Amino acid sequence: MKIDLRNLSHSYDVKVLNDINFNLKGYKSIAIIGISGSGKSTLLRLLSGLETPTKGKVFINDNDVLLSSYKKSIGFIFQNHNLFPHLSLLENITIILEKTRGHKKDDAIQIAKKYLDLLKLSDQYNKSPRNVSGGQAQRASIARALSLNPEIIFMDEPTASLDPILTYEVLSAVEDLKVLGKNFVFVTHVLSFVRDFADYIIFMEKGKILEHGKPDILDNPKTFSLKEFMKKVK
Amino acid sequence: MKKIHNILKKYKKNIETFISYFLVILSILLFIFYIASSSSSDFKLYLILDDYGNLIFQGFLNTIIISFLVLIGSSILGFLFYLMSTSKIRFFSSYLKAFTNVFTEIIYGTPLLVLIVVSAFVIGPAFGIYQRDLFGVLALIIYMSPYVKNVFKAAFSTISKEQYMAMDLFGFTSYQKYRYLIIPQVIRALMPPMMNNFSLIIKGSALLYVLSFNELYYTIIIAQSKTFAFVEGYLLMWALYLIITIPLSQLTKILEKRWSNL
Repeated sequence: MKIDLRNLSHSYDVKVLNDINFNLKGYKSIAIIGISGSGKSTLLRLLSGLETPTKGKVFINDNDVLLSSYKKSIGFIFQNHNLFPHLSLLENITIILEKTRGHKKDDAIQIAKKYLDLLKLSDQYNKSPRNVSGGQAQRASIARALSLNPEIIFMDEPTASLDPILTYEVLSAVEDLKVLGKNFVFVTHVLSFVRDFADYIIFMEKGKILEHGKPDILDNPKTFSLKEFMKKVK
Repeated sequence: MKKIHNILKKYKKNIETFISYFLVILSILLFIFYIASSSSSDFKLYLILDDYGNLIFQGFLNTIIISFLVLIGSSILGFLFYLMSTSKIRFFSSYLKAFTNVFTEIIYGTPLLVLIVVSAFVIGPAFGIYQRDLFGVLALIIYMSPYVKNVFKAAFSTISKEQYMAMDLFGFTSYQKYRYLIIPQVIRALMPPMMNNFSLIIKGSALLYVLSFNELYYTIIIAQSKTFAFVEGYLLMWALYLIITIPLSQLTKILEKRWSNL
């Protein structure tokens, strides 16, 4: 995939991203790392078009990310599963397929089941998100994202609210998705997952991209900040 | 054998609960019986029911009807206040917010009885309107609306910012968002507190008797003044209010329990 950031700045009450210019081409699985507050989740949200930048432009594969056609071509997996709590796992998927993608009901159910099965949730179709474990809910949200057949899947610390066992459960499910040949952009604190899964790494600090490169930058960091970061997360 | 033991254990707990409730209700009934029997004359409920049963029943119905009207009215007004407090119209929005805040403070600080008499005897006549009943009901609606506003606020806040983001991302139209995602969630969050409000309204409507409004409290006062059956009247009144409010609160509890895991 191709990422093109032009003079990208974003602020809420304080400045979170500070005039980023960045170009990248030819990688399929990009990890964004950095300490809390470095702006990595914000960058992910801008890349996915979920939020509109205060200044600057974001282009992914030459598309402006603010176009609604782009939004329909991506999947986003939130920190907390973010399933609709009043719908079952199955309905969480079918409602999107039926209402926004024009699938017939039977068709939608079939697709939803296919992806829930893929994420090993065959026996949980009709359960409410509140009645399954955090790991199962997060896997259902991954199934939801996949069922829309996105070109790119964004993940914002998908395991932040899970314990180590569930984290492993979710991340190994994601690793199995490599075979689908999708593009991934993700933020995570789990470095072992970054090493296994990413083919490019972006390290952020104080709203800037400080260092980026192939996964071996984790072993040979150039900047002092990344060195410190690697020490801390170990 | 173990299975039977477990079932027995479960029943034991249920029986314990049942007996406890039974004893509590029995002691309250005994207390009421004591009050009834210690009044100067004999306790004769028929005194009041024979001639004024119909009137009291009418008052009972009126209390329910009026409370329904107030519930609907305050829901509409409360929703408007909620919209005003969250409005994003430029310049105007800060005025609307200030208005709802000041209004809420005034209502929170006013006893319902005061609001009713001021509405019916001061505000109404000031506009040349002498329909006290109407202004009494309006006072109840206005009194409830800030509480209803808060109920709406709490209900809408159950939908997180991330959920709205997801709705946008998936490409739902505005209509679809409300129809399939927002309203179903909001209604579930609204129902239990709204039923509590309904209970508050029923209890508050008793104060309309100061306007000689034909509701439960007032009709019983009338029956009492004609029959002198005061003890009977007051106890009957008390029981009739509980007949409405207790099933309501039980229903609320059931709904809360059922919807808590949806």
